[in-house]
Amino acid sequence: MATFTERMGPVLLLWLAVCLSGSWAVDKGNFKTCDQSAFCKRQRAMKPGESPYRALLETMELTNTRLTLQLINDNNKVRLLLELYRLQGNITRVKINELKPLKPRYEVPDVLIREPPTEPLSLLSQDENGVVLSLGAESQRVIVSARPFRLDIVEGRDVLMSLNSRGLLSFEHLRMRKDTQADPEAENKEGTDPANPAETVKEEEEKVEDGMWEETFKSHTDSKPSGPSAISLDFSLPGVEHVYGIPEHADTLKLKTTDSGDPYRLYNLDVFQYELYNPMALYGAVPVMLAHNTQRTMGIFWLNAAETWVDISSNTAGKTVFGKMLDYVQGSSETPQTDVRWISESGIIDVFLMLGPTPRDVFSQYASLTGTQAFPPLASLGYHQCRWNYNDQEDVRSVDAGFDEHDIPYDFIWLDIEHTDGKRYFTWDPHKFASPKEMLQGLLDKKRKMVAIVDPHIKVDTNYKIHNEIRSRGFYVKNKDGGDYEGWCWPGNAGYPDFTRPDMRAWWASQFGYDQYEGAMENLYTWNDMNEPSVFNGPEVTMHKDAMHESWEHREVHNLYGLYVHRATAEGLTERSGGVERPFVLTRAFFAGSQRYGAVWTGDNAAEWDHLKISIPMCLSLGLVGISFCGADVGGFFKSPSTELLVRWYQTGAYQPFFRAHAHLDTPRREPWLFGPENTALMREAIRQRYTFLPYWYQLFYLAYHTGEPVMRPLWVEYPQDPATFALDDEYLLGRDLLVHPVTEEGARGVTAYLPGKHEVWFDIHTFQKHNGGQNLYIPVTMSSIPVFQRGGSIIPRKLRVRRSSTCMEHDPYTLYVALDNQRTAEGELYIDDGHTFNYEKKELIHRKFSFANGVLSSVDLEPNAQFTTKSWVERIIILGASKPSMVTLKTADGENQLEFDFDASMSVLTIRKPGMNVGADWTVTLQ
Amino acid sequence: CSFLSSEMRFHIIIAAFLWAAFVESRKIRGISSSYKRFYRERKSFLCIDGSKMIPFEQVNDDYCDCADGSDEPGTSACPRGRFYCTNLGFRPHYIPSSRVNDGICDCCDASDEYNSHARCQNTCWNLGQKERAYVEGQMKTLDEGLRLKQQLIEEGVLLWREKQAQLRELQRAAEDLQIKLEEHRKRKHEADRLKEQTLKALKAGDKGKAPSIFRTHFKTFAHFAELFQFTQLGRRFGYRAASISCLLSLTGATTLLGGGHQMDLSKFQNTLWDNFHCFHLVGSLLDYTNVKLSCNCIEHYDNFDLQKKLEIDYGTDWEYLFLNGQCYKLKVYEYMYTLCPFNMVSQKSTAGTEVSLGLWGMWAGPAKNHYSQMVYENGEPCWQGGSRTTSVTMTCGTETALRSVKEPSKCQYIMDFETPVACQPVLKQRGVHSEL
Repeated sequence: MATFTERMGPVLLLWLAVCLSGSWAVDKGNFKTCDQSAFCKRQRAMKPGESPYRALLETMELTNTRLTLQLINDNNKVRLLLELYRLQGNITRVKINELKPLKPRYEVPDVLIREPPTEPLSLLSQDENGVVLSLGAESQRVIVSARPFRLDIVEGRDVLMSLNSRGLLSFEHLRMRKDTQADPEAENKEGTDPANPAETVKEEEEKVEDGMWEETFKSHTDSKPSGPSAISLDFSLPGVEHVYGIPEHADTLKLKTTDSGDPYRLYNLDVFQYELYNPMALYGAVPVMLAHNTQRTMGIFWLNAAETWVDISSNTAGKTVFGKMLDYVQGSSETPQTDVRWISESGIIDVFLMLGPTPRDVFSQYASLTGTQAFPPLASLGYHQCRWNYNDQEDVRSVDAGFDEHDIPYDFIWLDIEHTDGKRYFTWDPHKFASPKEMLQGLLDKKRKMVAIVDPHIKVDTNYKIHNEIRSRGFYVKNKDGGDYEGWCWPGNAGYPDFTRPDMRAWWASQFGYDQYEGAMENLYTWNDMNEPSVFNGPEVTMHKDAMHESWEHREVHNLYGLYVHRATAEGLTERSGGVERPFVLTRAFFAGSQRYGAVWTGDNAAEWDHLKISIPMCLSLGLVGISFCGADVGGFFKSPSTELLVRWYQTGAYQPFFRAHAHLDTPRREPWLFGPENTALMREAIRQRYTFLPYWYQLFYLAYHTGEPVMRPLWVEYPQDPATFALDDEYLLGRDLLVHPVTEEGARGVTAYLPGKHEVWFDIHTFQKHNGGQNLYIPVTMSSIPVFQRGGSIIPRKLRVRRSSTCMEHDPYTLYVALDNQRTAEGELYIDDGHTFNYEKKELIHRKFSFANGVLSSVDLEPNAQFTTKSWVERIIILGASKPSMVTLKTADGENQLEFDFDASMSVLTIRKPGMNVGADWTVTLQ
Repeated sequence: CSFLSSEMRFHIIIAAFLWAAFVESRKIRGISSSYKRFYRERKSFLCIDGSKMIPFEQVNDDYCDCADGSDEPGTSACPRGRFYCTNLGFRPHYIPSSRVNDGICDCCDASDEYNSHARCQNTCWNLGQKERAYVEGQMKTLDEGLRLKQQLIEEGVLLWREKQAQLRELQRAAEDLQIKLEEHRKRKHEADRLKEQTLKALKAGDKGKAPSIFRTHFKTFAHFAELFQFTQLGRRFGYRAASISCLLSLTGATTLLGGGHQMDLSKFQNTLWDNFHCFHLVGSLLDYTNVKLSCNCIEHYDNFDLQKKLEIDYGTDWEYLFLNGQCYKLKVYEYMYTLCPFNMVSQKSTAGTEVSLGLWGMWAGPAKNHYSQMVYENGEPCWQGGSRTTSVTMTCGTETALRSVKEPSKCQYIMDFETPVACQPVLKQRGVHSEL
């Protein structure tokens, strides 16, 4: 557009710089390496095995709920306070803070859903070397060693996890700056080490040069008014070779060792054209790592919102398979072990050791701390059509009509930043979107919805109401000098509301009210982008660390900012309906706990095959740490996909939780009907498959909301004892029952899928072909193939009448797919509610359990106290792996009747015709 | 004596009739009259694709038995089925089965929502009226458009002939020029020779000999002046600035010669020759020659330009010729768009910068309607590579005007251009077909 340059004038130079800086890859020079981040460099330079920390056992206090104990750094005599809690559900919490900090250190609020309930700890034994405490169940103990300080969590004879076993605990105490103040440091008060006081001072001075009190990166100087404050702790995991989690990184599911490069970095950043397979930070950060072996799954949740780096090393990483075999045969090898080290710039050490032992236990342990996935409106599980940008109302109307013309279902159409009046969020372009309600009504008439973007940067413009109100209420983040912090973003000069403030969030939420947000209607939902926050002219394209959130520096809260934006927006959407309707909000930045507020996508990916592939491990990693509602831009955001890539991406996206196509402003149109009738048919079919599985998706999300179990999960979660599954990230499970191996290779003629479970059978959902588990299966593919398998032993309810939108399918009948296992049994569930309100909390729902055994399929109520009725009935039951019955009888409260059926002997598929009973009722179907 | 009164009997007959109608309507819901023959009430029903035989009760029983969906024309049971909206008073049409009872009114006769919450009104009559009015309007537009088109075609033919005549004249003139140029070249050679001689003479210090050489070759100079007269021919074709500057150069050259034929030799001798300007004079003559040559080129170019213009495809009857040289404007939001057919497209923002959205490329309509779309290419380069292009769709109307501009993707513009010459008589055969 001609005026791109004009509108973007202020940002143009920067954009130019960004765009021209690398052809099609991230400009790594814009982002810090560990060496360029003073605290990381400082911390990483520490050598293991030299821990200066000693536990002062005489200071130990044990109450019913916690143990406290002082630690002393023998080098500088600074004392720390260790708190140890036994939490309900097999979690141990370890908190370490300065005993007497110069001023309070930041402790992350609002992430835990409550103060975690504790369980009693009891003292088992104590001597001058340490203390042994019982962790209650299963002979679990925690051993506190005094010199050097170390924690071991032990079960029976096995060490599960050790803390500071490598002596990398580090706690940079707060101090006064020496060149300006007399030295009031703790060591001086308590008396310095008489042996070498001079050396200590010398060390401090050297460190000053290392960027303790000021740090410059590119043209940006961080003033660091509080000086050094980094913290670090190491964790050893004996017997563990596989660790996962700590999203967001564009990397494999199984985390790699970081000895030869940078640690994995957690620092929410707007990375332009991110690169794959490296540990660079991306848009979100969840400081949770899972460790898994055939015996046990555990998790480490490092609750810290400052810039964080995670080092991983392993004693087996370098070994070849042969080497490992040799070790095994000779029986001489040391136990495999993974060592992990967390380093954060500031705050305190507050770490939750989730001790499993099963993957499901870890999910529920983490859920008990940070909550579960927000239960989304059913429609948001349908297909989303997005583009930067749909230009005007007429454009929206014609794209909407295009879906009808080509008989492709969709639920949401999205508007990016260009819909606003000059990037002023909560407004509409007065020409292009002159009558938003008319447009929204048009969509509503077709039972469809819209999402409009609302970013957290607010145009500094005295004619803009939102800006004026935020400024007059003093709600903006402040710069280090006390003025409103300003940075460049889409609107040009912008302020950043301080979302860490509850009063600011309440005000923000109120802006979504129908009386405030002009043009909004109940089918308008919201998308929060750029909430890392993205600041085009800031250090690493984000906010200066010395900007102020009331009394806290931005450095303390950085990784939380996006969560707060997401939260305030979701609360706004809830409140506008008086708390009746579920919100739907998509966010790019996130933190631990973001799952409670809605969906997340993997940001600005590119139309490349590798980006399609990486969407799987990226969403799997998020699912493991609670964020189930994940998706990648279908088609790829930057660049233009080949038709083949686009089709494959639709086929993959249809089987990932958040299914949205999106495209950059500069790319040609790519609505699914623009690539010839053949490809339209392929994309239509992929989307239609998605819609047939909506009942299953909805049930999985209900389960995620209840238990924290990921919707999209790695195979090892269900087959924890099968090492063949541990590193798989080109296939995955949806719930327990669907295995998906999308085609992600260009020109693929076939894929090899690993079907897990030695005693399992798997049914191809398209052909009903039965395959045995525990094998690598080669599947020839054509352009229409989406390799998906239903587990024998499962029952999946589907709706085969695919309509214009999910809402149009509300009352439609179900088809039950009963896939029998080798014992000729199967089980499944069905969850139904109104699809959009919070009334499920009042038990207005239907939750049924289906089971098949001994030739009888029955439906029983899992929630007898629940109240909900549906018009939906069962139109068809398809039993895979069945034998031919002589008679099929349906029994309901109204009596018995015989059902017609059809048996396909070649595939052993029994189709029971039109049983017709209401899906919410009790019934049995008997095969004789 | 009858058991029932005649009135009652009448009621029963009516009731029976209504019942039959009800049953009938359930069975045949969603099919057109031409398909009724497949759905005659029998014991069984054969799927239309012949794949399966089912009991007739299973037709429209809300369960899909036939792979082709033919057993459920009136329900949403079959994934590939279709439902026939009779739409009495309007156009009948098919909708996908998935739109039956989905809570959205699709058929104007409301027949698709017989079992849903949607309260659909029968709007067929209104729609029919509107459409009839619309079609009537369209027909009028078409008639008027075709009349105007005929005029424009006639004008186009005239214009074409005129331009052709011009071209021929130009070509003739060019040929003449060519001949003159040949002559001129010869003389140039002579002048060169003269120069050589003069220079030699000058070198030899024979000052007296030079004027005589000059006098001998006065004719050569006179010839240049003649050529100057000739170039005035160019004016008749309204040549552009370049030609005019060329004329100016010529005037300069002839001034130097002191007015051509009437050159005063003694003056020449005194002013130029005496000051050893002979060299310059000869130099000027050579310049003159060069200028003449370039003028000639320009004439050739203009000639070529017109030829190029006439080579453009203006439609089977040259009906689009009249658009050449015209420009049409439309303001969309903050932009002013200009379309100069067969030339270029541009966009000007209120801030004032003008951006080219493409230069005339070609006709790009489908084979059966080649002249329905124009493409303009190679406009201003785009941010991320490539250049702006515009595709112009020609639609039939009584006026010639730019009707809409869109930019569906970055740097790809779509224009709607209305003109009578886009009217096609074939449209007339398509009319409203209502089931009245």
